[in-house]
Amino acid sequence: MGKRLLSSLILTAAMSALAHAADMKVIHVMHQGDPAGVAAIGAVAKAFEAENPDVNVETIYAPHDAYNEKFSAAVMAKQLPDVMELDAPFLANYVWSGYLQPIKPLIDKDVLDDMTDSNIVQGTYPVDKDLYAIGLTDSTVVLYGNRKYLEAIGARIPKSVDDAWTREEFEGYLEQLSKLDGVKWPIDTFRGYGIKTEWITYAYGPILQSAGCDLIDRTTWKSAGTLDSEACVDAMTMMQKWVKNGWVVPQSAGTNQFYAEGHPAALALGGHWFYAEAAASMKDDIVVMPLPKFGAKGASPNGTWIWAVTETSEHPDVAGKFVSFMLKDREYRKFVASKSGYPGLKSFAAESPLYASGGAMAIAYEQASKTAIARPPYPAYPTITSAFMQAVDEAFNGGDPKAALTTAAEKIDEDIEDNDGYPPFGDQQ
Amino acid sequence: MSDIALSISRPNEKPVRSAAGALHTIQTVCILIVALVIVSPLFLLVVASLKDDRFQILADMGSFRAFWVSNPTLNNFKEVGHFSGELAFGRYLFNSLLILSITVCSGVIVNSMAGFVLAWGSVKGRATILSIVIALYVIPQESIIMPLVIMVSRAGMTDTFAVQIVPWIASPLYIFLFYQFFAQLPKELLEAAQMDGASIFRIYRSIFMPLSLPAVATVSILTGIETWNQYLWPILVTQTDYARPIAVAIATFFGQDSIYWDRAMAASVLMMIPILGLYLAFQRWFVSSFVGSAVKG
Repeated sequence: MGKRLLSSLILTAAMSALAHAADMKVIHVMHQGDPAGVAAIGAVAKAFEAENPDVNVETIYAPHDAYNEKFSAAVMAKQLPDVMELDAPFLANYVWSGYLQPIKPLIDKDVLDDMTDSNIVQGTYPVDKDLYAIGLTDSTVVLYGNRKYLEAIGARIPKSVDDAWTREEFEGYLEQLSKLDGVKWPIDTFRGYGIKTEWITYAYGPILQSAGCDLIDRTTWKSAGTLDSEACVDAMTMMQKWVKNGWVVPQSAGTNQFYAEGHPAALALGGHWFYAEAAASMKDDIVVMPLPKFGAKGASPNGTWIWAVTETSEHPDVAGKFVSFMLKDREYRKFVASKSGYPGLKSFAAESPLYASGGAMAIAYEQASKTAIARPPYPAYPTITSAFMQAVDEAFNGGDPKAALTTAAEKIDEDIEDNDGYPPFGDQQ
Repeated sequence: MSDIALSISRPNEKPVRSAAGALHTIQTVCILIVALVIVSPLFLLVVASLKDDRFQILADMGSFRAFWVSNPTLNNFKEVGHFSGELAFGRYLFNSLLILSITVCSGVIVNSMAGFVLAWGSVKGRATILSIVIALYVIPQESIIMPLVIMVSRAGMTDTFAVQIVPWIASPLYIFLFYQFFAQLPKELLEAAQMDGASIFRIYRSIFMPLSLPAVATVSILTGIETWNQYLWPILVTQTDYARPIAVAIATFFGQDSIYWDRAMAASVLMMIPILGLYLAFQRWFVSSFVGSAVKG
């Protein structure tokens, strides 16, 4: 009798466990990040599970440098996660390939209403104008300056984006700084990030755009005639000159010469994230300025790692709920703010005094509404960025700028031709 | 004749000796330079792992200060040494050691058995099989990695230890290496054992394997290094910390916005120790195997 009772109890417990497991909804969340970021997302997952006992969130971490390889493997193995983090300029390629689904119906309305214009742009697919991804943050690049050096050469310090340095002013200051005692390099353009990261296209692309050209014609979706146009060749030759003159921190010198001991670099063309570490070291000696105008208009980059729900998700509603939860989570916001995260939600901007009016990075936030230009939202973007990075690398190593840009433009157009113009993009013409 | 030769050479002996001495000095200097080139990055790694400030590590790079630490600390090692928590490096290290030991042991057994059968077994078409094994060796791992990902995911092996071990146990290179070693041993050993009634497995286990320590050492070290340094494969086939090795964990320190050089250096030092230990343990046989191959080859 006792044995029978025990057996029934075990059976009941097993059945109940099975039933519970069947009720559980599992969502996989793929992301990248540094150790603190991994921990922060892990904490969000736990908090979400606590609030939704029928959901199990499994996080899949992939290192930043190998994220695309991990994603490709997931695609081939048909094991796409439910929620994935992706670099904004790759969005068009992923949507065109059918990996992502529109996210608007899955996200809380208050979060959608909270998005900044730039955040909407980075998550929107240009063909159907639908939103496919959303982020808590956005990004930009500004010009950091060493106050002492700038004062020593009597440089004008811009007070707003409209007041940015002109090309002549900028190059004049570089020359003056190159002769100033204590300055080893007038500017760090972070060549140390290497050519495998997105940095070159992200940070140097706007220099071309400000000079009056682009990586690709955004109407005809052809690169030849645009990337190798006179304006682009002139801009690339200008950058090459900075390198040839020894004004730019070389790739081998790393990424901290602006605030390293002795402050060997006077200026830094750096991402918004650079502020936290530079300010910690330089205190009041750091000046944040808008990117110079290299032509008639200013241009600055935008776009960062944002969150999307995949087409294959079995629980898109839960996936969307998780993304909304994460973007509103106080602890997660605190963590992002501690990394001087650039606000992509208005409410987050209000919580970020660094970017508010009067804040040290207010100019960076001002750039988003005045000069931000998204990288080409086009399925050929992976080829565009790779070809452009190679061209910059070649020019910086002494190659002919015109030849390097022509080769890049040809490579891009070849990819577009191979894919029949990536319809429906080609059909829009 | 030799006396004449000696008498002729005597007047030139001193210059010859001094020339030999100069050559020896040049050789020593060259060896020292090569040794310095090899050892200095390792020394820099250890020194940097003892610095507490990641920004200082970066600031020191490019100068001789990179090779000096004024206030050494073990803080970085403490931060990466946890077995559980935010980033369980102890766990990752354990995973790596587990994967390493099983892959090396299984690799030695499987590859030596295959090599032995190809050298002395009676299997039909040995020459053809050997040609196929050699042909397989030239196929780069990268070219088969994606089909392999699909295969293991369909087999439900992702995120396990097995997926990081099984595909890499059998290796054309190591089968060939064992084959070459076994084939050079005298046939009389095999015949004598067969006359005593020993089975093929007994001959392999009790006679040929004990004579093959240099080959075992070489395969162990090479498999060990290969397994220990696996990076892309574990990223592609693992999802969680459960079975991920330390090489993947170190990549965590190379974030999108910042690089944690201090902890990355400490973790790299920790990662280096086991493989260095493996090399030191097998060094004698490893070197003799290479010297033997060179002489015989």
